[in-house]
Amino acid sequence: SPSAASHWSKVVSEAEKIVGYPTSFMSLRCLLSDELSNIAMQVRKLIGTKHPLLNTARGLVYDSRNNLQMRGLVVLLISKAAGPSNTAEISFQHDMISGIYSSQRSLAEITELIHTAFLVHRGIVNIGELKSCDGLLKDMQFGNKIAVLSGDFLLANACTSLAQLQNTKVVELISSAIGDLVQGIYYDNSNLSEENCLTHDIGISTWKKQIFLSHSALLAKSCQAAMELAKHDAEIQDMAFQYGKHMSMSHKLHSDLQPFIKGKSSDSVAFSLNSAPVVLHQELLGREAWIKQIREAQHKGNLMDFTRLQEAIKAGKGVTSAIDLCHYHGNRALEALESFPPSEARSALENMVYAVTRFS
Amino acid sequence: MGTAGRGTGLSVRAGLCGARATRVGAGKGHWPRSLGHEVAGDERGACRARSWCLAAHRTGVQRVSRMHYFLGRSSDLSFPKICNIFLRLHHTTTSRTCSCSKTITDEKYKDPFKLGRKDLKNLYEDIKKELLVSTAELKEMCEYYFDGKGKAFRPMIVVLMARACNIHHNNSGEVQESQRSVAIIAEMIHTASLVHDDVIDDANSRRGKTTVNQIWGERKAVLAGDFILSAASVALARIGNTTIISVLSQVIEDLVRGEFLQLGSKENENERFAHYLEKTFKKTASLIANSCKAVSILGCPDPKVHEIAYQYGKNVGIAFQLIDDVLDFTSCADQLGKPTAADLKLGLATGPVLFACQQFPEMNAMIMRRFSLPGDVERARQYVLQSDGVQQTTYLAQRYCHEALKEISKLRPSPERDALIQLTEVVLTRDK
Repeated sequence: SPSAASHWSKVVSEAEKIVGYPTSFMSLRCLLSDELSNIAMQVRKLIGTKHPLLNTARGLVYDSRNNLQMRGLVVLLISKAAGPSNTAEISFQHDMISGIYSSQRSLAEITELIHTAFLVHRGIVNIGELKSCDGLLKDMQFGNKIAVLSGDFLLANACTSLAQLQNTKVVELISSAIGDLVQGIYYDNSNLSEENCLTHDIGISTWKKQIFLSHSALLAKSCQAAMELAKHDAEIQDMAFQYGKHMSMSHKLHSDLQPFIKGKSSDSVAFSLNSAPVVLHQELLGREAWIKQIREAQHKGNLMDFTRLQEAIKAGKGVTSAIDLCHYHGNRALEALESFPPSEARSALENMVYAVTRFS
Repeated sequence: MGTAGRGTGLSVRAGLCGARATRVGAGKGHWPRSLGHEVAGDERGACRARSWCLAAHRTGVQRVSRMHYFLGRSSDLSFPKICNIFLRLHHTTTSRTCSCSKTITDEKYKDPFKLGRKDLKNLYEDIKKELLVSTAELKEMCEYYFDGKGKAFRPMIVVLMARACNIHHNNSGEVQESQRSVAIIAEMIHTASLVHDDVIDDANSRRGKTTVNQIWGERKAVLAGDFILSAASVALARIGNTTIISVLSQVIEDLVRGEFLQLGSKENENERFAHYLEKTFKKTASLIANSCKAVSILGCPDPKVHEIAYQYGKNVGIAFQLIDDVLDFTSCADQLGKPTAADLKLGLATGPVLFACQQFPEMNAMIMRRFSLPGDVERARQYVLQSDGVQQTTYLAQRYCHEALKEISKLRPSPERDALIQLTEVVLTRDK
């Protein structure tokens, strides 16, 4: 709903003030590089084509939902909320700005670089599946080329920045998060509905595993790594991991729920058949009844009447179950925060949870 | 040629990039420093290429004037030197005997592949163990090129270098587990980059197999490449040494920057050659150089040894790629496992083309339009074969190998060191 979106924006901009300057920008070093200006030049050539990279690039510059760099922001906030550890040496503390170590700021950037790299790599097009309406083949090939290269460029920058942190545990954590992300996106891709609009019968527990990989692992492991960089103990590391994990799960559930929240039916009704409310609806309804509903919503030529399907889902219990699940993860995130001393950074992290668990 | 970047005329922005500025060993130009003045006395590995040298000499007089033309317009520090080197080479490479390689082959001959193999047993099994992935299809894609049919050229150099450094340091006859991990990681990084390159180039076949992107589609192929890279990165972190992480992360950055260099073409002919060599270093040699450096760091505390390992890897790596570029013109498709003149078809002007262009200036226009007009590829191929571009490139590769040989000879003798010496020859004479 519009109020939810504006509420989220407000929470984010308040939180940005707490971490000092908006350092969750992708690193300036990266922005000033020859390669990035080269990419910008090349992306311009794609204007007028249908390559998805154009939309991704547009989203990086302007993101109406204010989800841009949310991950970096959370890493900075949790770093500040944890503060310096007791075991950390004093000499270690003078590179702290606004209560955040410079290594933690780098980590926030790295997290954003990785997230962005995969936004770009997600948008690769399968050349063999193109139809004539997709435009010229060579445009799509060119778009792919630039997408592979620019994603690789962002990842390579993440790798070198990661190496500069001089902490092997952090390198291992973040590298494994990249692996998780790949596997998660891979699932996302293979779950994409086939022509007959039938999705795999995955069930909510599988959905949760896959969404953890594609949406939560990076943030969870980055939060943990931020604690490791400040030499916090294993317990705090785990709490930071839990916050990152559950906060991003409820964030995902919240966004999956938007098309099903009251008063929104006039807006775009397109929703993913793999979104949480649909998966839950299917699970509660039973596979056969679900297939029947899909068939009923299908027009001639297999075109899906999403409005009709949406009404059917709204009439079931999938939506309320998804809201419950969203609250469950929100509560788990809040519980994890209790291990951190009260501070404005901690409040900001709490507010983010409140923002993504609000549905009125 | 001493400072970072200057040797290849690269990067006005070097100052902006901290990582590059602090890089050890990378500062040397890609051109062997000693090329010019050591030709007369030390130049012995040339025997293999005697016929090429003769060919070069034949056209030498002509070339002098062309080189002057080059010199006049050069805006690059390295290029005049390159030209100088060539001028001198043409006057000194006529009568040469094969003394050097004889001594190697007669007494200390070691087949590098045979010697390296004992440490590479189970290489691919161990790589597969690093690829922990839950979906069967993604696993299949990731393992696709680790089928044991590759040359494992990089892991082999790495383990030989590891042993050579260990023996040099304290006569240790063992390869450390961490050094073997570097060999595995090098092959993984290499393979990940191949998978992405094939998507970028829209390639159909590699090593005689259908490419990953052809079988599973571009979208999945890119993810598979990303996954292999992340697994390599995890393995790298587990070595537990932050220096090693930095050294090998540099490779990942170089690979991407090399790919970007390949995207653009320089109008200025002088810049074009430097650009080509810089690209060659980043796309091919950096991986070998930095992996060699990594195992030397693990095996021996002496920074001089690290520099030897790095320089050896860099020079062998550039030579390897130069020969690769030659083979693209001289080898038949069956031998190579991929189509020939592939570089031209991709619009790339490699060494043989750049040399040929000196003889046939009409190629300039084709280079600039990246061989995009009908008939360009075939015409360019013909020009290259008519010119001495192939010989010149091979000769250049030989110079790099010679430099590599000079570096590695500084290590204490060992079977592995001698195998690495032998390898400089293998690189030049391979036909696939």
